[in-house]
Amino acid sequence: MFGLRLLWRDWRGGELGILASAIVIAVAIVTGISLFAERLQQGIVAQSNNFLAADRVLQASAPVNPEWLAHAQSMGLQQAQILGFPTMVYTGNDVDAAMQFTSVKAVSDSYPLRGELNVSTEAFGAVTQSTDSPSPGEVWLDPRLLPLMDLEVGNTVFVGEAELTVSQIIVTEPDAGGSFYGLGPRVLMNISDIPATNIVQPGSRVSYRYLFAGETLELDNYGKWLEDKLLPSQKWLGLADVQPQISRSLERAEQFLLLAGALGVGLAGIAIALAARRYSERHYDYVAMMKSLGATSIRIMTIYSSNLLLLAVIATIVGSGLGWLIQEVFINVLQDYFEVTEVPSISLRPFVVGAVTALVCLTSFALPPLISLQGASPLRVLRRDLDRSGVSSAFTYGTGVLGIAVLMYWYSGNLVLTLAVLAGVGMTFAIVGVLAWYLLQGSAKVGMQAGSSWRLALASMRRRGFQNAVQAVIFSLAIMLLLLLALVRSSLIEEWQIQLPEGTPNHFLVNIAKRDVTAVEKLLSDNKMSGEPIYPMVRGRLVTVNQEAIKTWSEKTDPTVEGSVDREMSLTWSDVKPEDNLITDGKWWSVGSSAAEVSIEAELANRMEVGLGDNLSFLVGSESLNVTITSIRELDWESMKPNFYMIFPPGLLEQYPATYMTSFHLPSAEKRFLNQFIKRFPTITVIEMDAVINQIRSIINQISSAVELVLGLIIISGLLVLVASVQASLDSRFQESAILRTLGAKRQLVLGSLAIEFSALGLLAGFLAAFSAELSVFGLQEYLLDMDYVPHPWVWVVGPIVGAVLIGTAGYVTCRKVVNTPPVEVLRDL
Amino acid sequence: MIIAKNLEKNVDTSEGQLCILKGIDLEIKHGETVAIVGSSGSGKSTLLGLLAGLDVPSHGAIFLDGEDITLLTEDERAEVRARLVGFVFQSFQLLPSLTALENVMLPAELNGVSGARALAEKYLGRVGLDHRFNHYPRQLSGGEQQRVALARAFASQPKILFADEPTGNLDSTTGSHIIDLLFDLNREEGATLVLVTHEQRLADRCQHSIKLDAGEIVADDLKSVTAADSSITKDDQ
Repeated sequence: MFGLRLLWRDWRGGELGILASAIVIAVAIVTGISLFAERLQQGIVAQSNNFLAADRVLQASAPVNPEWLAHAQSMGLQQAQILGFPTMVYTGNDVDAAMQFTSVKAVSDSYPLRGELNVSTEAFGAVTQSTDSPSPGEVWLDPRLLPLMDLEVGNTVFVGEAELTVSQIIVTEPDAGGSFYGLGPRVLMNISDIPATNIVQPGSRVSYRYLFAGETLELDNYGKWLEDKLLPSQKWLGLADVQPQISRSLERAEQFLLLAGALGVGLAGIAIALAARRYSERHYDYVAMMKSLGATSIRIMTIYSSNLLLLAVIATIVGSGLGWLIQEVFINVLQDYFEVTEVPSISLRPFVVGAVTALVCLTSFALPPLISLQGASPLRVLRRDLDRSGVSSAFTYGTGVLGIAVLMYWYSGNLVLTLAVLAGVGMTFAIVGVLAWYLLQGSAKVGMQAGSSWRLALASMRRRGFQNAVQAVIFSLAIMLLLLLALVRSSLIEEWQIQLPEGTPNHFLVNIAKRDVTAVEKLLSDNKMSGEPIYPMVRGRLVTVNQEAIKTWSEKTDPTVEGSVDREMSLTWSDVKPEDNLITDGKWWSVGSSAAEVSIEAELANRMEVGLGDNLSFLVGSESLNVTITSIRELDWESMKPNFYMIFPPGLLEQYPATYMTSFHLPSAEKRFLNQFIKRFPTITVIEMDAVINQIRSIINQISSAVELVLGLIIISGLLVLVASVQASLDSRFQESAILRTLGAKRQLVLGSLAIEFSALGLLAGFLAAFSAELSVFGLQEYLLDMDYVPHPWVWVVGPIVGAVLIGTAGYVTCRKVVNTPPVEVLRDL
Repeated sequence: MIIAKNLEKNVDTSEGQLCILKGIDLEIKHGETVAIVGSSGSGKSTLLGLLAGLDVPSHGAIFLDGEDITLLTEDERAEVRARLVGFVFQSFQLLPSLTALENVMLPAELNGVSGARALAEKYLGRVGLDHRFNHYPRQLSGGEQQRVALARAFASQPKILFADEPTGNLDSTTGSHIIDLLFDLNREEGATLVLVTHEQRLADRCQHSIKLDAGEIVADDLKSVTAADSSITKDDQ
């Protein structure tokens, strides 16, 4: 009860302001970030799962065991089925009936489980969103099919033997990006009409996709249950498999958010430690007095530690509320990006994380200075000159570092990350400490040099050499962390944007006949569509490796290889190496070569365990083609450019029938170009990837904005450290200023010298921070984030300026009361 | 009430060990008022600190109410202080974040005594500050602050009151008022009073005085306890 009153009195007396705010900020940052990261992740995953039209997909080349589906049913998972196959669609049975090669997708009634279809009632008309699928007897057509086949909504078409009514136009499907093999305009129909078509027979080229949606835990359990039942041709797919770019961006973003969160807590921790130290210093005499009045050290510890605990509870409640508010603001700011209609729910975990953070912060940062209180000698009431005995600094700092380490490891679950950041911060402390100490050692002048603000400030800096070095280290650590986050953030965002820069090809053209190549090239360049080179494609099958059948070879190496290569592959030839391919081994052939050689993609070569000099034999048509591997290429499968496993020199494949392919960028405003294109080249298949690319971009934008908002939050805790640190030196400044003013110094002189002193300290800290930030970014990017390091000259300018302005301002504002308090009041308190 | 035997206090300095007090023997009976006088640096405050159990001697023993406090730990001495001792300091030692009333309530609160508020109000009333309950130390004059300190000292109803230069920070008129108040209250409460002062007029108000010089008693009008026989003889002045 007494402790409670003491706490209340301390609060009223303004003793707890910084300490309480630091804890509140730490809790708010952690709770806010965890809540936000959780909701962002759920939101993005939900949104990204639209690419699958489900949460998980089971892909197969033949119907799966019905028991598997029954098991999913019994686990309460929602299901839908898709059958995909290429076929000709006719308008009738007459000789002059229009016909078109299409890509049919037959879906069950529950399709799509996630996301929406964009549909229209007329070709290129107004688009509406729908979560329905075609009813039995109906068919929805790609808008391009209508002009091509001279159809209107309401007409009928034949898919195999089934006559179906065109009831809607299908503009986009959520999972269009996944069906990269769907060559030809889309025809969407009901799966129950399939038997009537009489197309799907045993041995037909049909792909089966089973869609599942439900709770993540249930899905994961089902995935595990399936794991050892799957054949090599069957795949259990999640977001990471279908959209690795999104999945990787999310992972990086989460790592960054956690890192930022841990650093934010670290900063708040420093503020807590500084505030607790000042609090304990100011309470040292109180404790001596209480002891002289008969309070035992146990009583003192009970009072202070229960106060601390109470403070933690109150700060946790306030901080959690603030954290919740912060993420609400974030979500609102990002509302434009959030295309999810239902905002994901909140779990309890972020609040637990916040509470534990408060407890760990207090125990590791605030407890040691408070423990030192119990060492206060009661004799101080008689003899003020007595030294303050207490807990050693090593112990104080040791527990602080341990606390942060525990928290960082707990947040990230990544020991390497934790140790790397700690080592970086530790190194910074050491290097910056030595540098600051060295720089602050000027030739010592006698006296306070109170002639001018400048001389007074500089003399004061030297006189307080050690305290200033410590303060410079803390300042530079705070600025360093801010710069570090800014640097990592911009390189992350840049890297994401580089992945899919403006002008990334967003449409593929395949099935281009040889006679159309020149015309297509001309049409694209006339319309200023930036395109990739047009590559020839010959279908061929790999049959032997070093004269061993592919089946035997893959059994010896990686059995899953057989599934990947024992099918028709797209083979191409080229004189020149594709621009963005990188030769990792061997060398590209000289122009005009027609030697029997091949360049193989690195990942496949690795899985097949083949290398330079190995012999591959392909079956092209009915002829066999023997080649030797002479180069190995690395390439980016996500570049949206034509990519090939096998590239041959010209001359080896030219005699075989080939089709051609390319990709190009079509601005969304010029989408109608496709109609013109399709009308002119009805046999060429256009694959539209723009919706997928746009969605990936939107997700990257969301994450980038989130990262920026979190950075803003970290800046608040950085400022708190600055204020706490300035406050720590306030008492002695009060005294000096009072004496100076009593002796006749003008307010302006004292105030000017304070501003100069803090700005100079900030300049120094900013410079040191720039140095250590560069060093840390180098370490982080080279060893942790797997990115290339590029120097950032601007931090050397921004660091010192930000330091001088921030610390100058913080110092000036905080210390203003030093000159606004009448000297007599200060002197009376001494 | 207070017995000190052969007290010695040494401290380590950069120039070797320094003897602050040596060969101090004294006995103060219940209800007596004793002044410890001497010039600056003679060891007055050190002796007061030892007698009050705020510090431990290098050699010798101190008995408070029959208990040798030199054998106790710091926490055990704190309990003895809580039970027996009150303080008045030269620099008042009020907590700046507490009001006058809260400062006076503090000892009772620390010791878990019920009715702390009523007790504090009573003693503040007795020092004439019943209109300043909710004022903070910085809003009070030096004399008023020392009156609060007196109220705090007596509110714990101590058997022994130690006062360290209680008028050292006050002008002579205010100082006289405080001394009057201190002695009046002490008479009413019947506590043993030990005060350190360098003011003769304050020392003259006490029944006995001990004069220190360079850490040794050079004159006292108490019956001393000799180290040899430990027998106590009374000297009635």
